[in-house]
Amino acid sequence: MEQRGLYQRYLNRFGWLCVAPSVFLFSLFMAYPILSSLYYVTRRWKGMANSFIGLGNFARMARDKVFQAALGHNFLFMAVQIPLMVFLALALAALLNQRIKRFRGPLRLALFLPSVTSLVVVSVLFRVLLQANGFLNNVLIGAGAIREPIGWLNDAAWAKVTIILAMTWRWTGYNMVFFLVGMQSIDPEIYEAAEVDGAPRIRQFFRITIPLLVPVILFSAVTSTSGTMQLLDEPNILTWQGGPANATMTAALYIYRQAFFVNADFGYATALSYVVVLISGLFAYIQMRLLGDNARSAR
Amino acid sequence: MRKVPKLLLALALALALAPGLAAAPQKLTVWCWDPNFNVYAMKEAAKLYNKAHPEVAVEVVDMAQDIEAKVISGLQAGGAGLPDIALFQDFRIEQFLSDYPKAFVDLKAQGVDYAKFASYKVGPMSVGKSVYGIPFDTGSTGLWLRTDYIKAAGLDPDAYYGKSLKWSEVIKLGETVKAKTGKPLLSYQSDNFDMLRIVVQSTGGQFFNPDGSLNLRSEAFKKSLALFKELNDKGLLYQVVGWSDWINAINSDQAAGFLNAIWMVGSVKSRPENKGKYMVIPTPLIEGVKGAANASNNGGSSWYVFSSSKNQKLAVDFLKSVWATTNEGTKAFYNEILKGAGAMGTYLPCQGGPNFTANDDFFYKSQPLYKDFAAWMAKVPVLTYTPNYQPMRDAVAHATLNYFQGKIKSIDEAIAAAEAEYKQVMGQ
Repeated sequence: MEQRGLYQRYLNRFGWLCVAPSVFLFSLFMAYPILSSLYYVTRRWKGMANSFIGLGNFARMARDKVFQAALGHNFLFMAVQIPLMVFLALALAALLNQRIKRFRGPLRLALFLPSVTSLVVVSVLFRVLLQANGFLNNVLIGAGAIREPIGWLNDAAWAKVTIILAMTWRWTGYNMVFFLVGMQSIDPEIYEAAEVDGAPRIRQFFRITIPLLVPVILFSAVTSTSGTMQLLDEPNILTWQGGPANATMTAALYIYRQAFFVNADFGYATALSYVVVLISGLFAYIQMRLLGDNARSAR
Repeated sequence: MRKVPKLLLALALALALAPGLAAAPQKLTVWCWDPNFNVYAMKEAAKLYNKAHPEVAVEVVDMAQDIEAKVISGLQAGGAGLPDIALFQDFRIEQFLSDYPKAFVDLKAQGVDYAKFASYKVGPMSVGKSVYGIPFDTGSTGLWLRTDYIKAAGLDPDAYYGKSLKWSEVIKLGETVKAKTGKPLLSYQSDNFDMLRIVVQSTGGQFFNPDGSLNLRSEAFKKSLALFKELNDKGLLYQVVGWSDWINAINSDQAAGFLNAIWMVGSVKSRPENKGKYMVIPTPLIEGVKGAANASNNGGSSWYVFSSSKNQKLAVDFLKSVWATTNEGTKAFYNEILKGAGAMGTYLPCQGGPNFTANDDFFYKSQPLYKDFAAWMAKVPVLTYTPNYQPMRDAVAHATLNYFQGKIKSIDEAIAAAEAEYKQVMGQ
């Protein structure tokens, strides 16, 4: 009895010792910033000076049409880009899983590569290709697809298309890898049974592959949603500071500019971040409920 | 017995360390941008300083993007990660001086004589009796034109060389060039209002009232906006978004010229194919606005020392003895960076070098470019920025672009849109 208690205490202590570094890092980089944000959010900052304004930052937000428009852009990118990307990633994964036998490795690598490439580097190349007299417009005009050059970076609507294309280019391969792994973990016997029953390939894909992949699709949708809510690199570098004329300004970029560029107003930036976190959480919850219920009923 | 080796060890250590201490290598870090211009000029300054102080290593870092963001996060962290010296745009520094009042070293208290600098440079860096920066370059502007395209359009560049034109004459020239060569007249950065600002300021117009409130409803601003709308509608602007694309457009022959300051010399010269092609004429005159002149200013930056610097004394000494001292070495230095990058300093005692009047054979007819820019600089009106220049700049640029693209129908609506965005971003 006595000895067991001693051993237990040793285990406890050892256990605490093991988690101590991560507890320390968590409190330093997660708990502390979150707690201090409660202080920041109630204040108006201007560099070194700040003053208490209560919920004033949220009242300001309600008047701030630039931020509201930025949130709208986030929703737009989400609504168009995520379905497009999930569809493409599923199709590519299915092709790589079944149809394409040769060069599977190199293809997988090529599709995955954009997600680990620095966008800062790539955007330099992209911007050259997307100029009014750039490569892409010249090719399209040469092919007779368009008459006037498209303002990929200059026109408010086309710049949004540019962002969506760039995001799709960057993240499709990344999500495809998850789908591919998911597909490979599906028991081939299920397909054999379907084959025996005479189900065509397309039907197998929609009736077997997709339902069994729901958890993976859910994961991909949730991470993509929160990723899109935090979208910053593409509009900051590719379309240059959310341009043209704020047409691709996103919530995260606006937060960054309020804090580190225009105003040094960390209070307002914190309040804006709260809203973004809240929305991301809400979306994740809805998606989990919807797809989660589906997954349960499929079983 | 035991004490002897210890003593010996201590002695050996002391001996080993002593020479190191005597000539301790010291290091200064400088943040700036533009390798063809600021980085180059600061490296030349370091070379001069090293002649007398070979032990000081000056590291000049090219912060291509977001230098302000890195500075703000450093200032917010009480100076952590900041360099000793940084370059700030004249129109940005008031924001930093007002947001972070203790972050910069008062250089007037350190004995810098500001009477020897061009006075319009000293205003933005002064707060009360303190003056915080070492003024660097001027932003005297001109209209840069490609003589080869003017010739290709069947016109004679000499008919324009050295002439003070009106904007209506420039538009006529642009239309001919566009019709004959297909090239728009000006490379134009559509998300930035620098060119608009050049025209507004050529009338003495300001963007803020003396009390710090926005002043966009002036005749000068409305006329300037109308002028650019006309240039836009006649297809005379080659529009790009972003600074680097604008430089690319200029150095890939997308247009027959641009409107900007003397500091573009470095970027133009960085491409050998430009040799002999450019001429720079005075900033065109906008008609119908009182006080309009054939001169304006855009940009210009100055050097600042952070009070968080551990090498504050050294940093101040470096800036003072190269940028704010009159002797043969500094005269040669200011003369050299003018030729090398078109960096025209604003330290008046060092403006007499031969390069300030010399012909430059990189330009059409070996134009004595710097003599011309210096002459135009004398006509530049005094400019007032404020701590809120950047959000105003963004808001005006956004409204202007939307007006050009037809999303905003009239000048009055464009002004209202700019005012609204400014207020929202500022939380007013």
